[in-house]
Amino acid sequence: MLQYLIILLDNRSVSYCHYRPHPLSFPSPMGEGVLIPLEVLKAGIVFAMKENLNIQFVYPEEALPVEYTEVIESIDHTKIKPMAQAEEADVLVLTEWQTTDVESVQNATCIISASRQELKANIERVKSLLNKVARLNIVLTDIEAFRDEEIGGYQTLLETLSDALIEVFKTGRMVQLNLLTDRLLLTQMNNCGAGDTTVTLAPNGKFYLCPAFYYDDPSQNAGSLADGLNIKNRQLLRLNHAPICRHCDAYQCKRCIWLNSYLTLDANTPSHQQCVIAHIERNASRDLLAKMEAKGLHMSNTHEIPEINYLDPFNNYQQWK
Amino acid sequence: MKEMIKENTILWKDGTSKSITFIVTKDCQLACKYCYLVGKNTQERMSWEEAKEAIDYILGHEEEFQEESVIWDFIGGEPFLEIDLIDKICDYLKTEMYRRNHHWFNSYRFSFSTNGINYHTEKVQRFIEKNHNHLSIGITIDGTQRKHDLNRIWKTPGMEEGIQPKPEEEQGSYKDVVRNIPLWLEQFPGAGTKVTISSADIPYIKESVLHLYSLGIKEVNINCVFEAVWHEGDDRLFEQQLTELADAIIDGRLYEEYACSFFQEHIGKPMDHEHDNQNWCGAGMMLAVDAAGMFYPCTRFAQYSLRSKPAWIIGNVHDGIDKNKLRPFLTLDRCTQSIEECINCEVASGCAWCQGENYDAADTHTVYQRATAICKMHKARVRANNYYWNKLFRKLELQDYEEQKRKSNHKTCDL
Repeated sequence: MLQYLIILLDNRSVSYCHYRPHPLSFPSPMGEGVLIPLEVLKAGIVFAMKENLNIQFVYPEEALPVEYTEVIESIDHTKIKPMAQAEEADVLVLTEWQTTDVESVQNATCIISASRQELKANIERVKSLLNKVARLNIVLTDIEAFRDEEIGGYQTLLETLSDALIEVFKTGRMVQLNLLTDRLLLTQMNNCGAGDTTVTLAPNGKFYLCPAFYYDDPSQNAGSLADGLNIKNRQLLRLNHAPICRHCDAYQCKRCIWLNSYLTLDANTPSHQQCVIAHIERNASRDLLAKMEAKGLHMSNTHEIPEINYLDPFNNYQQWK
Repeated sequence: MKEMIKENTILWKDGTSKSITFIVTKDCQLACKYCYLVGKNTQERMSWEEAKEAIDYILGHEEEFQEESVIWDFIGGEPFLEIDLIDKICDYLKTEMYRRNHHWFNSYRFSFSTNGINYHTEKVQRFIEKNHNHLSIGITIDGTQRKHDLNRIWKTPGMEEGIQPKPEEEQGSYKDVVRNIPLWLEQFPGAGTKVTISSADIPYIKESVLHLYSLGIKEVNINCVFEAVWHEGDDRLFEQQLTELADAIIDGRLYEEYACSFFQEHIGKPMDHEHDNQNWCGAGMMLAVDAAGMFYPCTRFAQYSLRSKPAWIIGNVHDGIDKNKLRPFLTLDRCTQSIEECINCEVASGCAWCQGENYDAADTHTVYQRATAICKMHKARVRANNYYWNKLFRKLELQDYEEQKRKSNHKTCDL
């Protein structure tokens, strides 16, 4: 059931997930970003109120006009903001590595979108962030390019982060890092829910399964404010209609249906890359838990993670069938 | 008792072999009205260079094709329009499988589904003679002349420009096909034909199956098209035709020598959610390659087969197969792609689907939305099928009883 409405306040709203916005593909009479028309914003809020949806506003780098702020504040919501607009952000998206040093990240929930190479190159900054933030979400932007030969490299990267977490935990700060601590706390899948629990409203007044579908091709909408929400084959976006994922225990995996649609051509089927990466993270979480236990470090509500002998559950699919 | 009933032929190697389809041409002499190939054309003919690249890729990646056996399938349009290319491909396949010591060398077949028009030509006959022991050829003849000619008409020059002939200008192909049936059956005595039923064909089903039997074709594989072409009342008429056909087969004892795939003992039963959850269709297990060197999970996913969706390309002869694009096919099961009504259907078994049609008719880009246009036709088939087996088994039981009684009387007399 739908629970969240994401409203992109501008076609240059900050990306907080796997996709990259492509603003140049959207001709704008202003020559720059297209701000959501005020009447569309108001109608979106009314839609959310009638459907009992929690709103998440996604901000652009530029400040919003005052009248927008007034409308936004008329409803309970979450603000996802880029660093340039950090004030009152509920979730801060770090758009430049340099911004990791600023005061506003202190005890904040932050998101970094980066390739594995960028992460590796900036690992000291990530370690530093772990000492400041309450929670850090790292979003990999190069999942599609992942090759099996890189498994070892990603394992090493996560091991480095795992060691950094242990050092922070020793200080008594139980910081969360999505790639490693989410799996410790979850007992079932916690996927992104695009099209199932979450839907996105774009500045053009149309609905999308998630922002990535809007930026990828604005014609692939799921209805509009004018004509109503129309998510076709919605059952296929749910976990019980995902033959590989419904048997999987990499609970922290976002199960990105946009990446699925792009890489396997079917929204309910994950790619080999997504599965392998999620399982490397799952196994690294298991190792982290073992390290914590060895050091006498305790995090509330953690759960045992069983040992498995595969990285891509597709290879075990015949057993589940 | 069952030994008295001819059964449908079991697929070669129990259907476990790899099927690799060469779409050698998208052209055909005919323009059958029910044909799902909406993009047939004269331009897309496979070149030898493209065919060779495809073969080199497939045989050069033995680890990706571990099935024990292979069926090299040739399809069109009409494959025998490209007999010179096919002959060259088959020669190369044989040579290369031998040269590479490939595990398919002693376990392969060449398979054709043809409209039969060129069957008698010298080139086709020479090819048959050369490869006979490894050949399966099916000629499509749709039944009586009036049924066959209703749909299987010659292409006219204007059709490529979208100009349809007037009804009086339509020319059926029955006579051009039926003349080759005796030669075909002489060369392949056990061969079966494939009959397609669309809405307009229903009144001629009984006469057509019996006609094909009279031509000496002992196995008639017949199915309704999967597309949403059915009209109100078609199911009742269909059921009536099949019931009359059942009477004719049983009363004439034709079941002893002939088979019709409409009548199968085990269809029309409920299916278990867990144990009967396998996919119907083999798309994804197969591989098709076209003139552009593109790979598809089956020929139905090539663009010329699709009305409203883009081709589902899984790779090409240069870059190989993108396994990600095969994953949706290899994880398909019955329940995930079916609506509740189908999952809980009391006559579910034997209800077929075509993954390509599912994709083409789906609301989104997916192979996980089962098209249900044939639902009422399947239910009608099940009713007629139940009638057939109840009547046939009762007849055989009574025969058996009479036979036992006769033997027992003999014994009494002997005493």
